[in-house]
Amino acid sequence: MFSESFLKVLIVLALVWTALGAITLLTLLFRDFRNRNLW
Amino acid sequence: MIAATQISPATGWAILLTLGVLWVGLGFLWGRKAKNSEGFVLAGRKVGLALGSATAMATWVTSNTTMLAPLFALTLGVWGMLAYSTAAFGLLLFAPFAVRIHRLLPKGYTAGDFFRLRYGRSGWSIFLIITMIYSLSWLVSMAIAGGALLQSLAGIPYLQGMSLILAVCVLYTLFGGLYAVIGTDFIQSIIILVGIVIIGAIVCTQLDFGEAYQHLSLHQPSLLQIAFPAALLAIFNNMLFGFGEVFHNNVWWSRAFAMRPDVAPKAFFLSGLLWFPIPISAGFIALAAGPLGINIADANQTGPVVASSVMANAGLGAFAGILILVVLFCSMASSIDSLLAATSDLLLKDVHGGLLGRTLPEHGYRRITGAFIVLVGTVTWLLALPQWPIIEVLFISGPLVGSLIWPVIAGLYWKSLNRPLALLGIILGSALGITAYFTLGWYTASLVGAGVSMIFTILARFASPRPFPAQLNT
Repeated sequence: MFSESFLKVLIVLALVWTALGAITLLTLLFRDFRNRNLW
Repeated sequence: MIAATQISPATGWAILLTLGVLWVGLGFLWGRKAKNSEGFVLAGRKVGLALGSATAMATWVTSNTTMLAPLFALTLGVWGMLAYSTAAFGLLLFAPFAVRIHRLLPKGYTAGDFFRLRYGRSGWSIFLIITMIYSLSWLVSMAIAGGALLQSLAGIPYLQGMSLILAVCVLYTLFGGLYAVIGTDFIQSIIILVGIVIIGAIVCTQLDFGEAYQHLSLHQPSLLQIAFPAALLAIFNNMLFGFGEVFHNNVWWSRAFAMRPDVAPKAFFLSGLLWFPIPISAGFIALAAGPLGINIADANQTGPVVASSVMANAGLGAFAGILILVVLFCSMASSIDSLLAATSDLLLKDVHGGLLGRTLPEHGYRRITGAFIVLVGTVTWLLALPQWPIIEVLFISGPLVGSLIWPVIAGLYWKSLNRPLALLGIILGSALGITAYFTLGWYTASLVGAGVSMIFTILARFASPRPFPAQLNT
């Protein structure tokens, strides 16, 4: 059986990972815009 | 039970019209960048890493991801969430394919170009039949989910809600082509990611993990079990379904063609990484249903019902309704627009140009491409009208797309193949996979389809293989 701590870590990790995804996309957008590489 | 409806129809309409006007306005603005048919269909083939990663990720976040991931968690527990996340591997593996696609077809337009040149007219026809069944059922299932969701969340009648979502997506795709699709996908992906994190964080703060775990281990221990055979089968089935969906569908091929050659592999890999945690972030809230005593009347509405109930308990009722509606609207729009564009491209290039042999004049390309976008939108609307359980058709298409995995890999990387044998594998894989769906269970269908096709494709590599026609840039 999955432990309580495993479940907690899995969920928190997923939420942090998802948040980092948004930050990554915004950072890349800024970089591409600055380098005129958007499209 | 706390009802999922948290906002009034007027608020629902206001949100939809605001977002709709925004998307259509941006589509019109970005559409002015398209100076020719290639610009309209493939956004000029110069899409960068930020927009490329976001559009691949946002397209893969569908209403199915945000609605079915909680359902997977509710029925298959921890493994269910992880099973859904394996669909990210399709995007990750498409990264090296994108390199090969650019090398073989530097001027390619659609996935149909690849199947026509590698597998001839027969293979091309089989591909077109499978991809049309899959794409239309995906499109219609999202239109139906959108209409049903607006009805349950905001009390907007099904027909009006479904028609509005579809009309908005058709309009901005019509005005802006792939420029509009990719541009709006970026904004939608940020809204989806931020919205999921906010909802997830609020649920976390409202949930006592210790109590919830005790409740689950006492009343629903199967959801926490490590050895859960159906869930373990679901992992491989979902992964193969995802491989088949991504590897064959023009949604992904058109994006590979639209991105710069050096950007495409990085963008697909990054989109897979970004997508991976979403089913867990969106799905885990379903595990709170039992411990919090939330009654799930309609399993398909698990996610919105649990999220809105928990947020309402935290005193965020109206905010919850608005946030959930915005996130789900964005997740639907980001996939519907991509499917509209990619499916109409297939009709334009492969059916209108290929099978019917018509040319696309540069001076009138907008009229013709627009006609195909409206046609796909109208067919989708007509099929969504009766609210058929078309999601079943989408699931049944799992073995069909699964049976295309190996022929795609063989066509991209091998130099020779017994093509009739490989095509026979697609047909038998599809037939046996559908049989398995009805006789063994949904979680075996894609496994069977991909397995049978794999055996035939490998046999085709060694049994009287013939070199592929040399029309590609090998």
